[in-house]
Amino acid sequence: MMTLDPKIPPGPLETKWDRRRFSEKLVSPANKRRIKVIVVGTGLAGASAASTLGQLGYEVECFCFHDSPRRAHSIAAQGGINAAKNYQDDGDSVARLFYDTIKGGDFRSREANVYRLAQISTQIIDQCVALGVPFAREYGGQLANRSFGGVQVSRTFYCRGQTGQQLLLGAYSALCWQIERGQVTMHPRTEMLDLILADGHARGIVVRDLVTGRVTARTAHAIVLATGGYSNVYYLSTNASGCNVTATYRAWKQGAAFANPCFTQIHPTAIPPTETYQAKLTLMSESLRNDGRLWVPTAPSDNRPPDTIPASERDYFLERRYPRFGNLVPRDVASRAVKSLCDEGRGVGPGGQGVYLDFSDVIEQQGIDVVRERYGNLFDMYRRISGEDAYRVPMRIYPAPHYTMGGLWVDYNLMSTIPGLFVIGEANFADHGANRLGASSLMQGLADGYFILPYTIGHYLATAKVPLLPDNHSASQAALERVTSRVKKLLDAGKRRTAASFHREVGRILWDHCGMERCETGLKLALQTIPALREEFWRDVAVPGSGDAFNQELEYAGRVADFLEFAELLCYDALHREESCGAHFREESQTADGEPQRDDVRFAHVAAWEYRMDGPPVLHKEPLTFEFVQPTTRSYQ
Amino acid sequence: MMNRGGYFQSALGGRMVASLTGLGLVGFVIFHMLGNLQIFEGGDALNGYASFLREMPILLWAARLGLLAVAVFHIATTVRLALRNRRARPVAYVVHQYRSASLASRTMALSGGLLLFFIVFHLLHLTAGLVDPSIPNRLDAQGHLDVYGKVIHAFQNPLYVAVYFAGQLVLGLHLSHAVSGSLQTLGLEHAALNRLFKTAGPAVAVLVVLGNLSIILAVFLGLIHT
Amino acid sequence: MKFTLKIWRQQGPNEKGGLATYEADEIGPDMSFLEMLDGVNQRLILAGEEPVAFEHDCREGICGSCSLVIDGVPHGPDRGITTCQLYMRRFSDGVTITIEPWRARAFPVIKDLVVDRSALDRVMRAGGYISVNTGGAVDGNAQLIGKEQAETAMDAASCIGCGACVAACKNASAMLFVAAKVSHLASLPQGKPERARRVTAMIEAMDDEGFGSCGNLYECEAVCPKSISVRFIATLNREYLRAGIVESGVPADPETPHAESD
Repeated sequence: MMTLDPKIPPGPLETKWDRRRFSEKLVSPANKRRIKVIVVGTGLAGASAASTLGQLGYEVECFCFHDSPRRAHSIAAQGGINAAKNYQDDGDSVARLFYDTIKGGDFRSREANVYRLAQISTQIIDQCVALGVPFAREYGGQLANRSFGGVQVSRTFYCRGQTGQQLLLGAYSALCWQIERGQVTMHPRTEMLDLILADGHARGIVVRDLVTGRVTARTAHAIVLATGGYSNVYYLSTNASGCNVTATYRAWKQGAAFANPCFTQIHPTAIPPTETYQAKLTLMSESLRNDGRLWVPTAPSDNRPPDTIPASERDYFLERRYPRFGNLVPRDVASRAVKSLCDEGRGVGPGGQGVYLDFSDVIEQQGIDVVRERYGNLFDMYRRISGEDAYRVPMRIYPAPHYTMGGLWVDYNLMSTIPGLFVIGEANFADHGANRLGASSLMQGLADGYFILPYTIGHYLATAKVPLLPDNHSASQAALERVTSRVKKLLDAGKRRTAASFHREVGRILWDHCGMERCETGLKLALQTIPALREEFWRDVAVPGSGDAFNQELEYAGRVADFLEFAELLCYDALHREESCGAHFREESQTADGEPQRDDVRFAHVAAWEYRMDGPPVLHKEPLTFEFVQPTTRSYQ
Repeated sequence: MMNRGGYFQSALGGRMVASLTGLGLVGFVIFHMLGNLQIFEGGDALNGYASFLREMPILLWAARLGLLAVAVFHIATTVRLALRNRRARPVAYVVHQYRSASLASRTMALSGGLLLFFIVFHLLHLTAGLVDPSIPNRLDAQGHLDVYGKVIHAFQNPLYVAVYFAGQLVLGLHLSHAVSGSLQTLGLEHAALNRLFKTAGPAVAVLVVLGNLSIILAVFLGLIHT
Repeated sequence: MKFTLKIWRQQGPNEKGGLATYEADEIGPDMSFLEMLDGVNQRLILAGEEPVAFEHDCREGICGSCSLVIDGVPHGPDRGITTCQLYMRRFSDGVTITIEPWRARAFPVIKDLVVDRSALDRVMRAGGYISVNTGGAVDGNAQLIGKEQAETAMDAASCIGCGACVAACKNASAMLFVAAKVSHLASLPQGKPERARRVTAMIEAMDDEGFGSCGNLYECEAVCPKSISVRFIATLNREYLRAGIVESGVPADPETPHAESD
C-alpha cells in the first residue's frame, strides 16, 4: 500500500526549512567518498545538483542523452528568474513571492515547499553571480530587474532574452569543474531506460549508450532524476524534440507515484503551426502582450486581409471579456480564449489556427522605432519563421504546450515514494500547483539542485545505509531484460508506420480532448482511442537498423512508446479532477460567464497515481491544507 | 604556469612567434624599400648608401645574421603551424565556400612559400650575382661598388622585370593580410583603433609594393639610366 | 517545391563516407530545413532504408545541437542563425543542395551528419569555470559591474557551443569558441583570480584535441549563429600574452590545478 507522507516539518512557515536542515543527519566527509549518487539529466536542476554533490565529496555519475550536458532544454528559457531580493525597494519580500506563487498555482501546491522556494530564491542569484552569469546590470553596476508575468513587483533577473542559457552554462561550468576534479563522471549520449529496485529501495538504473547501443546496469546508493517535463506528449510543443517522459515514466512503472499529470501549461503566444511535417512550435515572449492587441474578425471565416477589416468588424476578445486585465490576463486564460475562438471557426491563417496579435495601434501612438527597440528581435524571429513582416501585418499566434506542473510525487525532501529515488526540477510535481508563473521554473530548478537536494539526500544516505547492489544481482538482471526485450520488440515490429506518425496522432488526441478544455466525454473517448493506437504502434511501428549501433529512430520510437502509455495517465488524472483550477479547465466546472470554478471541498489535494500492471492506475490523495494563506478565487474580469 | 618552452609550443604561442618575427621582417622590407628609393637621387646617392652599409662589416653581418635568424624562426614556426593545420582537417569538404575571408588570408602559406623562392632568387641575382653572369660588377667614379649600375642593368631585361613584378605582387598579397593579422594575434584590438589596425596591412602592402615597383618601372621605362 | 539533396552518408567513424542523392518533393516554403530532412527520413524509413542521422533538439537556435554544412557553409546561406532556423523559402525551387557534417579531426563523425563534439567539453573542463563552491556566495550586488562590462561579458557568453566556427575555419581551429569563454569570464571581476591559469589550460587543451591554429581569416565570425565578434579572439590573445608575461612568476603546478581544494 502506497503512503504519501509529505514529511513537512512542523512549526511556523518561516523556520520550517531551517529546522529541517538542523534535524537532518549528516554524512561524515570520510563516508561521502564511498557513497555513489547517480544524477540523470543535466538541465538546471541536474547540473546544479551533480556539481554540488560532487563538491560535497560524493562520487557522482551523471547521465544525459545529449552530446553535451550543456544542451539540456533549460537552455531555451528566455524571460528570466524570479528572486525576492527587493533590490527595487518596491515592496517585494519572501512572503510576497511565496503568496504570488501559491496564488498563481491556484492553491494546488504545498505551502511549506513554496515558502522554502521563495526563501532560497535570493541565494540562487548570489550563487549565479559568483559563477559568472552575466546578468543585466544598471549603469551604476547593480543588478537590473524587470517585471514579468503580471505581478506587481519587479523581481525578475535576466540575461537579455537568454536567461535560461546563461544559468545553464553557469551550472554546466560548475559541473565541468567537478568533472575535472574527478568528483563527477559524465556520461553524455547515454539514456536512462529503466530503474533498478531491490528491497524497496532505488539502487540503480539501466542505461543505453546511444553510440554503441550497449545496455548496462549502473548502481548507486541513491538516484536523482532531473529529466524535465512531458509537454512533448502533445507532439507539437515548445519543448526540444528530445524532451521525453521516459525516465519518470519508467520510475512510475517501478512504483513511484505520479502526481497531478493533468496540470500542463499551454502558452498563448507561440507561432501557429502551418505544415504537416512541422515538428516544433516556437515561443514568442509573453512580453508581446504588453503592447500588442489580440483580435479576430467578428464574422466567422472572414478572409479579407487584416488591414482591410474595419475596427467595427474586429473582435478584441480579451479586452471584451476581461476589461480589467485586457490582453494581460494570465497564460491559461488567454490560451483558452484563443483556442475556443479557433474551435468556433473564427481563427485566422492556415487551417484557422491562429488569432491576430496586432501592433498597429502602438506603432501609430509611439512610433515604429519604439516598437523596434522593444521587440525587434522577436519581430525578426517571427519574420524568419513565418516569412511575414509584423510591422506591416499583424502577427498570428496560437497556444502551445510549454511546461508541465505535474511530475513524480516527492515529499518535502524531494524524495519520491520509492526510498532513494529523488526527483528535482520540472520532473517532480513541483511547487507550481496547477499553474506556473513566468520566470519561476528556472528558480525552482536551481533551488532544487543547488540548495535543497544536496541537503536532503544526505539525510537519506546517512540513515538508510543501503549497500551498493552487487553486480549481476537478480534485480539488475531483470531490469536489463526488460530493456533489451523492449528494444527487440521495437525492432521486430511490422514496419508499416513511422514512430512520428503515431506521436502526431496521440498528440492530436490529447490536444483535442485533454488540452486546454477538457470534458468527461472527450476524456473518455481519448481513453478508448489511446490503447487502440498503442496496440497498432507495437504491431506496425517501423524502426530501421539495429539496436547495437547509433540509431536515432530507435531512441525516438522508445520515447513515443512511453508517451503512448503516459497519455492515458494524463487523461485519467484530468478525468478525476472534476474542477477547473489553474491550467486545468473542465467544461463542466465553469461559472455562467465561462470562468473556471475551483472546488476546494473535493479537490484540494495532490492526485498521486500508482501504477498497476493489471488495470487502471490507482489514485492516492495528499490533502493540501492552507494554514498561512486563505485560498481565494482567481478572477481577472 | 607552464614552462616557457610550452608556452611557445602551443599553437597560439607559435602564432605569436610568427607574428613578431613577421612584423620584424616587415620592418626590414620597409627599410629596404626606403633605402633603395635613393636610386631616384642618382647613382652617387645609392652607391654611397650601399658602401655606407658595407663600411661597418661587423654591424652589417650582425644585421644580416639577425635577419636570417628571424626569417628562419618565422619560416620554421609557420611551417610547423601549417602542418598542424593540415592535420586538423583530415577529410576535406566536398563543397566549400568562403564567406568573408580575403584571398590574401586564404593563401598565406602559398604566398609565403613563393616569397621565399623570390627572396632566394633576389639574393642570388642582385646580391651574389650568380644568376646573371652578364651583370656588371664594377666600381663607380667614387670607388664605391656600382650598385646603381647593377640595378639598371637588371631591370632593362624584361624577363627580370617580369620575375620581380610577380615577386612584388606575392609580397603585397602576403603583407596585406600579415600585418593586420599579426596585430590581432598580438591582441591589439580597440574599438577606436580597429579601423586603423584593419587598414594597416593593406596600406603597408601597397606602399611597399608601389615603392619597389616604381624603381623597377622607372628603369625599365628608361626614366632612370646610366 | 522540389529539391535534389546530396547528403553525406557514413556508417561510422572509421568507415568511408560519400555523398548520396535523394529527391525531396512536396516541400512547402514554410518548412524549416530540418523539417524537410524529417520528411526525407520518414520516406526512407517506410522504404526500409536507414534514415539520415543528423542532430537537432531545441529547434529554436539556442541548444547548439544542429550542425550541418549546407552548400559549403556551416548553418547554411543565412547569417546569424543555426540550421534549425533556416527555412526552405530561402532556396530556389529545383536546386541541388549539398549537406555535409562538420569536418575536423577533433570532431570525428559518429554517423552520417552526426559528429562527436565532446572535444569542446574537454576544453571547457580544462578551465572554463570559476571555482566557487555552492553556498556562501556574497550578495549579488556586493560587487558592482558596469553595464558596459556586463554587456561585453554577455556578448561573449552567448556562444551556443555548436562548433560552426571550427567547421568554417580553414584550419579547423576552435579559437572563437575558446575566445568567447575566456573573454566572458575575463571581463567579469569574478573571473579575474583564475584568468591566467584558465587561459593557458584552455589553450593547451585545445591543442591537445587536435584543433588547428588561428590564421585570422574570420570565417568563424561570419558563420557564427550568435555573431560573436573576432575581437574576442584578440582578447584571448591578450589574456594569453598576459598569462605568459605578467603572471609568469606565479608558481603553480599545472598538473594539479586544484590540489588545494581536493
